[in-house]
Amino acid sequence: MAIQVDVSNQDETTVVAVTGAVDGGSAPGLQTQLLPLLQPGGALVLNLGGVNYMSSAGLRVLLLLYRQAMTGKGRVVLAGLAESIKDTMTITGFLKFFTVADNVEQALVALRRG
Amino acid sequence: MVKQDIAADLAALPALRQWVEQACRDAGLDEAASYRLILAVDEIATNIVTHGYAEAGLSGDIALTIERTDRTLTVILEDGGVAYDPRTRSMPTALDLDQPLEERDLGGLGIFLALQGVDRFDYQRCDDRNRNILAMNLP
Repeated sequence: MAIQVDVSNQDETTVVAVTGAVDGGSAPGLQTQLLPLLQPGGALVLNLGGVNYMSSAGLRVLLLLYRQAMTGKGRVVLAGLAESIKDTMTITGFLKFFTVADNVEQALVALRRG
Repeated sequence: MVKQDIAADLAALPALRQWVEQACRDAGLDEAASYRLILAVDEIATNIVTHGYAEAGLSGDIALTIERTDRTLTVILEDGGVAYDPRTRSMPTALDLDQPLEERDLGGLGIFLALQGVDRFDYQRCDDRNRNILAMNLP
C-alpha cells in the first residue's frame, strides 16, 4: 500500500507528515524518503497522526531515524501517535527513547524548549 | 469462516490485514485486541514472505483460514516455504528491550510482537507445509 509523505518547514524545523499504513511493503519507501530529510544538527517533527498501522518494519525506520539523529546531533519529535502504535512502541521498549507530542504544535514547542 | 489464498508478496499484506480486521469486527473483538491480532498475523506473514519464500528463492502463496467458535477467533496461515517454527526464535529479554536504541538488534522484534500479542500461538509442520495458528479469546 502506498503511503504519502508531505514535507513542510516551520520555524526552521522540517515537519514530515506521513499518511497510510507502515508495513513490510511500505516501510522501505518511507525510509528512503524520510532519512535524507534530517540534516546534521537539524530538527525534524515526524507527524504520524495519519498513520493508523505500524508493524515492526516501521519501528525499524524509526530506529534508523533515531540513530541518524544521535550521530548527527539532530533532534526528532514524534507527533500524533495513535494509541495502538504507542502500545507497540512501549512493549518493544522504543517509546522511552523518543520525545513525543500530541500534535505538531506541541512538538514545535518541545523543540523550542530544547 | 474465511478461506483465502494470498500471494506471498509484501504488496498483499494490506489485503490480508483487511480479512483479519473484518473477522475481528464480526466477532466483536475490541479494538486493542483486534490490533494485536492483525499485527501478529501481519508480522508472521511478513516473515513467511521474506524469509520463507523470497530469501530461499521460492515463490508460492499463503493459505489464510479464519475460524470462529463461541470462545475464540483463530487465524491460520499455511505456507510451502522453508520450514520455520517462530517459537524457536529466542525472544528478547526485558534487559534486551531496555537497551539503548543505538545498540539494539532489531532481529526478531516482529516475531516477538506476534507471539506476545495473541492469546494463543501454535505451530505445526504437516505435509511439508508450515502452519502458524494465532488465536484470540472472545469476550
